[in-house]
This record gives sequence, C-alpha cells and structure tokens, in this order.
Amino acid sequence: MPIFFILGVPLLLVIACLVIKSERFLGILNCVGYLVVLLMSAWLLKQIAFSGVTQTFLRFICLDILSAFFIFVIAVVVFAAALYSVGYLKKDLAQGVISEKKARTYYLLFNLFCTSMFFVPAVNNLGILWVAIEMTTLVSAFLVGFYNKKESVEAAWKYIIICSVGIIFALLGTILFSYAFSISGLSKSLNWSDMVPVAHILDKNILKIAFIFILVGYGTKAGLAPMHTWLPDAHSQAVAPISALLSGVLLKTALYAILRFGIIVIKGVGFSYFAHLMILFGVVSLVISTGFILVQKDLKRLLAYSSIEHIGIISIGFGLGTPLACAGALLHVFNHAVTKSLMFFGAGNIVSVYRKHNMHAIRGVLKVLPFTGLIMLLGLFALTGFPPCSIFISEMMIIVAAFTKGAYLIGAILLLFLAIIFGAFINHFEKMLFGNIPKGMLKSGEPLSGKLAFLFLSLLICLTGVLLLFIKGDWVWTVRKLFLS
Amino acid sequence: MQFIILFAILVSTYLMVIAKRTPALIRSFRYQSFCLFLATLMIAFHDHELDLYVVAGLLFILKVVFIPQLLYRTIKRIKASQELGLFINPQLSLLWALGFTYLSWAFATSLVGRGDEARIIMLAGAFFVVLAGLFLMIFRMTALAQIIGLLVMENGIFLLASMVSGGMPFFVEIAIFFDVFVSVIIMGFFVYRINKFFTHIDVNKLSRLKG
Repeated sequence: MPIFFILGVPLLLVIACLVIKSERFLGILNCVGYLVVLLMSAWLLKQIAFSGVTQTFLRFICLDILSAFFIFVIAVVVFAAALYSVGYLKKDLAQGVISEKKARTYYLLFNLFCTSMFFVPAVNNLGILWVAIEMTTLVSAFLVGFYNKKESVEAAWKYIIICSVGIIFALLGTILFSYAFSISGLSKSLNWSDMVPVAHILDKNILKIAFIFILVGYGTKAGLAPMHTWLPDAHSQAVAPISALLSGVLLKTALYAILRFGIIVIKGVGFSYFAHLMILFGVVSLVISTGFILVQKDLKRLLAYSSIEHIGIISIGFGLGTPLACAGALLHVFNHAVTKSLMFFGAGNIVSVYRKHNMHAIRGVLKVLPFTGLIMLLGLFALTGFPPCSIFISEMMIIVAAFTKGAYLIGAILLLFLAIIFGAFINHFEKMLFGNIPKGMLKSGEPLSGKLAFLFLSLLICLTGVLLLFIKGDWVWTVRKLFLS
Repeated sequence: MQFIILFAILVSTYLMVIAKRTPALIRSFRYQSFCLFLATLMIAFHDHELDLYVVAGLLFILKVVFIPQLLYRTIKRIKASQELGLFINPQLSLLWALGFTYLSWAFATSLVGRGDEARIIMLAGAFFVVLAGLFLMIFRMTALAQIIGLLVMENGIFLLASMVSGGMPFFVEIAIFFDVFVSVIIMGFFVYRINKFFTHIDVNKLSRLKG
C-alpha cells in the first residue's frame, strides 16, 4: 500500500499549507513529509522489481516497474528540493525579496506541483494522465512567474501557452488512440492496461499518426527540439528549487507519457517506427542544444540547454531499443535528474549571492562560496560524463549499445557532440569557479539545509556510479521484458 | 441534422478567422460552443445516455456562458486596444482557412479510407477546427487571441471525441472540463499581469528573453 502514502502525503501537505501560518515550520514539515514519500517509493520499487507483478487498484491506478521507477526518481528530486527550499526561502525572506505570505504561497504551489507530478506515473487511464500533465503545467506556471518581474511574467506566459498547445496535440493523439480502439470493435476505454493486450489488432495506420501527435505533444513538454523554445526561459526564470524540479523530473514525466504510448505502438506497429522517430528527435535535440551551449552567456540557461541535450540522449537510448540501451536510458533518467538538480541548486546559490545570471560577471565562486563551489565542480564533471560518476556509466551503456547494434553513425554522433559539450562546459565553468573575486564581494555563508541537499545528491551521484560497476546483468533483462515482451 | 450543426460550426470558425477585433472573436467563439452544445445534446438524446446530458450541460455553462463572459470582462478591465493585431489580413486568412479545410479533408480520407463518407466529413470538420485554432494562436498578436485560439483547438478536439469515437469515458470528460476551466482562469490572470508590467498585451513584443 505504499502508493497511498506517496499520493496522500503531498495532498495532506497541501492542506497543511492552508492551515499552518508559520513559514519556517512548513518548510520542516515538507522535508519530513517528502522523506516519508521517498522511503515509501523506495519500498514500492523494491516490491515491484523483485516480485515483478503489476499492482492495480480499482483499475484507476496501475503500477508496473516503469511507473515505480519514475515515482522513485520524482521522490528523490522532490525530497532534495524540499530540503533546499528551506534555506533558499530563508535567505530570500532575509533579503526582503519576498514576503512571509508569499513564502507560504510558495509552499502551497510546491506541494500542488508535486502532487500532480506523482499522479502522472501512477494513473492507468490515459485521459487522466493527460489531465495530470496539464495540471503540472498550470501549477508550475505560477512558480515560473513567482518573482513577478517583467522577465518572469514573460517566461511564464510563453511556458503556459507553448506547453498548452503542445499538450492539446497530445490530447488529439490520445483520442486517436481511443478511436483506433473503438473501431476495432472493443468497448470504449482509455485504460492503458486494456489497450496493451490488444495492441496488435488495432489499426496500424491510425496508431502511427496518433503516435506522431503524442510525440510532438508530450515532446513539447519533455523539451525535445525543435519544440523546446519555452524551456530555457522557464528554467532560467523559475525559483531555484523549482528549476531543479522542472528540469529534473517534469521533463521526465512527459517522457514517461511518451513511453507509455510508445509501448502500445511497439506492440501494434513494430519497433522500427518508434525507434526511427525517437532517434530523429533525440539527435536533433542533441545537435541544437550543443550550438546554444557553446555560445551561452547566462548560467541558468546553460543548464537548461544541457537538459535538452540529456533528454536527447535519453530518447536516443530508448530509440536504439536493445536491452542495454533501454537500461542505460532509464538509468540516465535517474542520473540526469539527480545531477541536474544539484547543478540548479548550486546555480541558485550563486545567483542569489552575485545577483547576476551572466557568466562573464561571475568570478571566483570557489572563494566566495567554498562549499557550493566544490559541489559545483563535482557536478560539472558528473554532468559532462566523467568516470566514475553515474552519468558516465549510463552514457557509456547507450554508446556501447549503439556500436554493438551496428548503429555506428549514431554512436559517432553521440561521442562527437558529448565531447564538444564537455569542452564548452569546462570552458564556461573554469572562469566562473576559479578566477579573482569581483571587488566588494565577501565570502558568504551557506544554510545548513542547502548543504544537506547537496550532500544527499552528490552521494547519490557517486554511489550509483560506483555501485553499478559491480551489479550483475540480470536487471538489464528486466528492462527488456518491459519493452519487448 | 448532424451535418447542419457541423456546417454551423464551420461557419462560426470562418467568422473567427476573419474577425478583426477581440469582441467579434469572442462572439463567434460563443456561437461555436453553442453549436457544440447542440451536437452533444443531440447525441445524448439519440443514445439516451444520462452522462452525455451532464456533459452537454457543463459545456453550456462553461463555454457558452462563463468563459466568454470572463473574456469580455477581461477586455473591459485591462482597457488595452481591442484590435487583434493581424499578421495576415482577413481576406488572406480566409484563403488560408479554405486551404486548411481541404487539407483536413485529405487527411481524414487518408485516415479512414474511402467509402465511409459521413465519418470522413465529421473527422475533417474536427481537424479543421483544430487547425483554425492553431492558426489563430500563431497569426494573431494579442494574448487574449491566443487564449481563444487554444479554446478553439480544444473545441475541435471535443468535436472529434464526441462525433468520432463516441466520446471519452465520463470521468475523463469531467476532468478535462475542470482542466479547461482552471487553465482559462490562470491564463486570464497572466493577461492581467502582462498588462500591468508591459502596459499592453501584444505578445509579439514580449522579447526580453533570448538565446
């Protein structure tokens, strides 16, 4: 029954935000609540991964290993963000950027946002899945426009409009799926668990067209190029913990939706159709984001474009489709979520001290913020795929899978662009982390809760990387069963 | 009877495409939603389904009464120019719309295959409404026009769902209505914000964030 805790605790926290007046207490309550959620989701993942059964409740909730895994990823990042929020808001309150009332609003929206995200992987009905994803957009739009400046309002507007249009296409795709289902003479239903067993008798032509709508629609939300234009704006303007949530898990929930429909398409139409589309969008995302990463001046936008790059890598991984590649892509979902949230937290600390986004004006972070600087240095190498950090392992798995499958061109493209991005990142960060402190800048303290969040995430980065080297290959076959059985 | 309603929906969509000012756009949106309401009511009457009556009622309250009223109020309160700011003039827009009609017909034919004429026409009508909504979102400059474009697309999808696949499951339908309701309110809220910070709602001029 852990799923009831996972969905229930965030809802209770929403109610708590309406009742409790003390902002400080709310922050701590949040941390405790999401710690419970994290433990429950780890338990759920263990339960499902070892028993291999699908848990269903009243046909409304359906949990297989894919959903359990995504719930776990969300829980990890949400817990870290809740920890980090406490210190971040305290600093904002002390500097007078926001009022106490606004801080309470922040916690309310934060919890609503998390509730809607936890619903995405849990629900069985594809229509409700759509509603949950649209809800995440609507709630997080307020968090993007939280600071009420010209830039943040503009970013929020672009975010809400572009994502809503995208998601309308996804609804169109969903309806075409249900159309395919209804003309094959079955009773009307939008439940995923009803569709998968009969996928092979559905009309192939309609499934193909429907999947294009799904891919464009949810792909907009997932940040696949060329539908990514909202992403750098929203990520750079949002409150720092929210940037981490947007990049770390919101993109992944949309990807989860694509995978859910993808499984139906793989069973109905065959693998190559799904593979070609995923690889196409993946490569385009990788190439476009590389260009922007090279010339970027704004710290948070740099990280946002790097998210597009990683989403590209993940979809290439799923597109390759060998068990090793799929396992690598799933791992990459987790690794990217953890590493990118760490980087956004660090960027949040830097921006709140320097009061600038421009990387040319930020110098000597290691001297001004020693702890953040050190963690950012670790995060930098983890993000660009340095061994033995976790991202190195998952990227390696995808590249090895590409070469063993015979997709040499894709393997080569991946290696080339990863190398370029590595160079660009080192170049940008080297001047920012080292270098001389600007005049009038003093060494500044860092809140404890922020440090805890950093330690939690960096431990995950290093441990996953090392642990994976010793794990046997069995779980790769679990992943295979998920997609190809 | 079905075809008369579909025809009325098409006419109201053409009216939206050639509208020059926001109130005219909202009025046509109201006509379109009303036709949609009639269509749903007819299906409900035909199939004797209680669920569909509820859906039709909600549609009427939300899209015929509440949302247009909210949009009218927004125009009055923000006191911005009521011009839509056309990238493409009405005559040319109409030509585009005619092109879209043909395109969606061709698309529907390829999807269903020849023979099932009634279904093709329904599908084509629904796709056309979606495309027209997208056209409004892209080629009109104000934030309000974008909201209406989004609602038109949503109407098109509702049409598709109700006429082609016999509607979505009841509680999904309700959830989507709730979602539309919330999204319009939130977008309206952001229109106020944009108007407050920029003193206009011309989204074409929102260009502070680049690169």
